[in-house]
Amino acid sequence: MNTVFKWFNDRLPIVNTFERHLSKHPVPKKVNFWYLFGALASVVLIIQIISGIWLMMPYQNTEEGAFSSIEFIMRDVDYGWVIRYMHTTGASMFFAVVYLHMFRGLLYGSYKKPRELVWIFGMTIYLVMMAEGFLGYVLPYGQMSYWGAQVIISLFGAIPYIGESLEVWVRGDYYISGSTVSRFFALHVVALPLMLIALVFMHLVALHEVGAGNPEGIDIEEHLDEDGVPLDSVPFFPYKVLNALVGIGVFMTVFSIIMFFFPEAGGYFIEKANFEEANPLSTPEHIAPVWYYSPYYAMLRAVPDKLGGLIVMAGAIAILFVVPWLDRSKVNSIRYKGIFSKIAISLFAISFLTLGYLGTVPVTELRTLMSVICTAIYFLFFFLMPIYTSLESTKQPPERL
Amino acid sequence: MIKIFIIIFSIYFAPSVFSAESAPCGDYGECDDYSYDLYNNESLQKGLATYINYCYGCHSLKYSRWGRIAADLEIPEEILFENLIFNQETKPGDLMTGSMIKRNAEEWFGVAPPDLTLVTRSHSPEWVYTYLRTFYEDDSKQYGVNNLVYPGAAMPNVLSHLQGKQVLGCKEVPIIASNGGVKRDENRNDITEEKCGYLKIKESGELTQAGFDSLIYDLTNFLVYVGEPAKRDRERIGWYVIFFFITFTALSFLLYREYQKDYH
Repeated sequence: MNTVFKWFNDRLPIVNTFERHLSKHPVPKKVNFWYLFGALASVVLIIQIISGIWLMMPYQNTEEGAFSSIEFIMRDVDYGWVIRYMHTTGASMFFAVVYLHMFRGLLYGSYKKPRELVWIFGMTIYLVMMAEGFLGYVLPYGQMSYWGAQVIISLFGAIPYIGESLEVWVRGDYYISGSTVSRFFALHVVALPLMLIALVFMHLVALHEVGAGNPEGIDIEEHLDEDGVPLDSVPFFPYKVLNALVGIGVFMTVFSIIMFFFPEAGGYFIEKANFEEANPLSTPEHIAPVWYYSPYYAMLRAVPDKLGGLIVMAGAIAILFVVPWLDRSKVNSIRYKGIFSKIAISLFAISFLTLGYLGTVPVTELRTLMSVICTAIYFLFFFLMPIYTSLESTKQPPERL
Repeated sequence: MIKIFIIIFSIYFAPSVFSAESAPCGDYGECDDYSYDLYNNESLQKGLATYINYCYGCHSLKYSRWGRIAADLEIPEEILFENLIFNQETKPGDLMTGSMIKRNAEEWFGVAPPDLTLVTRSHSPEWVYTYLRTFYEDDSKQYGVNNLVYPGAAMPNVLSHLQGKQVLGCKEVPIIASNGGVKRDENRNDITEEKCGYLKIKESGELTQAGFDSLIYDLTNFLVYVGEPAKRDRERIGWYVIFFFITFTALSFLLYREYQKDYH
């Protein structure tokens, strides 16, 4: 056994990799629950990939077959419903944990030097996930798939000069049809997952290079023992793995409660209208995106002009990429930042949640006004960040964890 | 500053922000309560019989198979075939695609009657239960009936001989004061006003009102089942999975607590 292992290890860095990334990889010994969502996101990614592969087997990517093949999975495939609900619940839970993971980053300054690239890879993952989620939502080819796709694809049409041809190019047809379904299928199951996996890999490699952050926002590398290992760290394996396992257990309990007892989550995870087959001749009474896009949808609707709405929506995501350079604070963590940062991030969170709600309900005048206000707060949080983070007085973080 | 906060908060909690959308059951308002019982095979069987006798002629259940229903509802296949399947060539594995030709249907009704396999999921069990009980006589319509939940429904009321003739009538209803209570006069009698749009049975049918409600209960129950045949299994298996993950959490917590002594 030993010789076999040695043979492999001489040709493949097994021990080296294991030590570098697991058994000797130092992580801060004291973090809080906010630091679990990264691990949870990777769990959901695995759930999505595995359930996705099994869904792919009976799914038909044609205009005639798409909707009925989903019902075939739900009824005639043994435990097909488990696989399908795992995937639909997983999609929403993926966004839930990623939103919390991102908010953790904002709270504790996880994006600050030297972790800018970790943040940027993360934001790219989020961007790809949004595309992945949208493409996947079209595949069951229900009413909401169809009309949701109609709304989103028509956004391309708002781009000057190339808009209309771009729209046709994306759809693969002059209207949403079987060609749209089959190309979205290819992108959803091959192209974007490949990108996601590659990006997650880069996210982790970059993270392991600079080391994980902590809620105090201090650099644990400043106090090393004689072997050069940070004093306030523990090896990732087994300590942090066990810590994560507890989190995964709690998370999977919640996941199972939703999946087995409330798979539609009151129309938020699977919308009611999507139980009707796509019908180009009948528009649903109320078109709403799934909850994880709704904040941006509310922003889109807050701007009366389509192109303007598109720019605002794209800008809302784009601005997240430059956060590492907007935050001029001397400290990383919200715990030691000043009162302005605390107010700003609270208002930001409230307005993002409010936008999320507003994006799921029909428009009224008051709601549009609120969307405008919340969109303004969303952007001001970022635009004013260089000012309030550099002007406010901060507290001194401790030396050690 | 405080003023701004007050203004923001009053907008935030303004009732119109959270006001209900168009009522879930159309002109009827809130739907009637409904709670399904998928473990009541007798109810499901009765619902199936009603469906096949009154609905299946026009409304297919094209994602569902005869044999699956027989197995789930514990109906011996011979009995199902003898009593409910009228086409000699049908086999247990066949989908319940119905017998109406779409083009004919469009000619007769204006629109083809929709497939109803997923109706309790695309609407809700409450909606179906209320819809089927709120047909009323309306001479302006093609089939002489209209519906409160879905005004302008292009469907004849095939169950009217059971329910009886239902019409829209008026009745005295108490006036609600702005504080939510009922308005009363000085003798503490409720003040009422006449309001219209209420359903009442003009001519009774073969069933009593309770009997008809129970028929529709069973029918809706069957439609809930057929919308997701795995629902019973799902909820049963769910308990085991949750139990597994709770145990998993407990064990990993104990292990975690043991290991973290190393660095505390």
